[in-house]
Amino acid sequence: MIAIEARGLTKKFGNFTAVDNLNLTVEAGLAFGLLGPNGAGKTTTIRMITGLIKPTAGTVKVYGHDVSSERSKVIEKIGYMPQKFGLYEDLTVEENMVLFGRLYGLSKSDSLQRSRELMEFLDLKEFRNRLAGKLSGGTKQRLALAVALIHDPLLLILDEPTAGVDPPIRRQFWEIFRDLNRKGKTILLTTHYMDEAENCDKLALMSSGRIIAEGSPSEVKRKAFGGDIVEIVLSKPINIDLQGVKVMEAGDGRMKLLVDDYSARVSQIIARFGPDLRDIRPVHVSLEEAFIKLMRG
Amino acid sequence: MKFTAVVEKELRQLIRDPKTVFMVLLMPIILTILFGYGYGGRTSFPIAIVNMDQKTGGYTLSDQLRNMFDVKAYARTREEAVELVRKGRVYAAVVIPKGFTEDMIAGRMTSLEVIYDASEPVVAQSIMQMVGVIVLQFEIWASEKFKTFSISPLFYSVYGPGAERVENFLPVLMGTLLQLVPTSLISVSVCRERERGTFEQFAMTPASRFDIILGKLVAYFIATISDVFLTILIAMLLFGVQFRGGMLDLMLLSSIFLVCSLSMGLLISVLSKNQLQAYQASIFAFIPSMLFSGMFTPVNLLSDVAKIIGHSLPLYYYLDAFKAIAFKGMNLQLLTYDLEVILIFTIIFSILSMDLLRMRVE
Repeated sequence: MIAIEARGLTKKFGNFTAVDNLNLTVEAGLAFGLLGPNGAGKTTTIRMITGLIKPTAGTVKVYGHDVSSERSKVIEKIGYMPQKFGLYEDLTVEENMVLFGRLYGLSKSDSLQRSRELMEFLDLKEFRNRLAGKLSGGTKQRLALAVALIHDPLLLILDEPTAGVDPPIRRQFWEIFRDLNRKGKTILLTTHYMDEAENCDKLALMSSGRIIAEGSPSEVKRKAFGGDIVEIVLSKPINIDLQGVKVMEAGDGRMKLLVDDYSARVSQIIARFGPDLRDIRPVHVSLEEAFIKLMRG
Repeated sequence: MKFTAVVEKELRQLIRDPKTVFMVLLMPIILTILFGYGYGGRTSFPIAIVNMDQKTGGYTLSDQLRNMFDVKAYARTREEAVELVRKGRVYAAVVIPKGFTEDMIAGRMTSLEVIYDASEPVVAQSIMQMVGVIVLQFEIWASEKFKTFSISPLFYSVYGPGAERVENFLPVLMGTLLQLVPTSLISVSVCRERERGTFEQFAMTPASRFDIILGKLVAYFIATISDVFLTILIAMLLFGVQFRGGMLDLMLLSSIFLVCSLSMGLLISVLSKNQLQAYQASIFAFIPSMLFSGMFTPVNLLSDVAKIIGHSLPLYYYLDAFKAIAFKGMNLQLLTYDLEVILIFTIIFSILSMDLLRMRVE
């Protein structure tokens, strides 16, 4: 099933094109990351998907419903967490949750019941009667996530959910996201933390309003370099003449190779060099390196 | 109903905001007292003396009155004195009776009549107190010199032209408290949500524009309705304002006008980009109301253009009906035209607010 399908999505603010003819497909049940530097157009894209801003051109469908013409159906399916904390700082944790539950059409008692469950799930019980404005950054984000989940939506759209959050809490967030994925929820999130993006099932790298690469983290890396990077150590210099293998760096015996598909070629390499091959290992490339490579073109 | 959730939320926020407490509870108290004393309070009061005694006792008492009051006139008869008070030349007249000196020497009890202007209750009260002090001092002086002597002051009230002054300060006050205060209070409510980012979260819920507008309107009405009661109560208790018409009619009329002001404030809020703009707009909207609705200048005395402006403002219809009930003793059934116009304004403001509110963040 397709959770989000955007076609030709474009947003212009005056002369500035924030999002440029973007196509995006998010399959249901995945954690999908929109990755890119500030100003790449991630938030604008997300706001067009939620219907909070109107696209200059293009269409978005959420679970088959058009965002502009069937907004009420779309809204029920989305749990949304904006980049800037969007809850009432002068209401308590529980008051905020109950309020939003009721705005989604739950009765007062159902909303309270649901809030209690989520407070349990997200470790918010001890802050129940604290004003939202008096919470720490990480707790605020947990509350925002709780409100996004209040009506048990199919799709979570989270704009920088872990921005300004300590690494242990960030890890906790990812455990929660994984848990939600297992329950069949789809997650679309934006981030500019490259290490965090490694956790996503699929990624779309954005730069200047466009998607410059898409796929799983390893697919994106392979796309960036045109293959996998492998380091080998040979006992004596040997000429490399294998199909699908290129030399990137060569030094006395230690070499970096670019292999079109490591898992397919590894046995060929071992067979070719035989006992002269002392070591072979794939080089871990970070998404950051891949991203920089992609940006330079 | 989702709007009840909005009402609850708004009320919680209003209660937790110290600004609301100031605007809603303290403003009416401060303004009413300020206006009341502004129109009534003096330090030196002009009075008249009628000295029918024309002997030592009478002259001595006159001197003492002169020390405390601004004695503007000496009348020969009581009737003349009453006339001076009625015309508003003086706030009070003190009548020293014939045979005052004889009574003093003989130690007989005598009376002293004070004719005061009841349309200036604050002034009247001060004058009574001051006369009381003078009388006491005079009694002590006379009792030491002659025999034990006592004077009992008699107070007689007359309505002077000042009655108009009391009638004038109330419409000004009601106009300010029922238009400027609620309008500016609610005018920031939508744009504040946009500024703080809470609107972005709100707009992602299935709550409709109707829920927001109605929810805010009801919550702010509950919060500001006390202004109506407080103002009328203070005016009556502290300044002795007397209403000829029905209290219930006045309250009902004022409540309907309050809803009208709130809906206007919401419209301003929907149209404003930020809180500062909203505040400025609500004050700006108040200026023509202040000038052309009969708050200060009666509408009949305005130029034709000003009259037309006046007639296109809800405050004009409210003040028209308010004066009719409060001072002419009319009831609300006779004022359906004013009521209808106020209601039409309210409906137009509310519908426009809903229509112009965008559930987006652009």
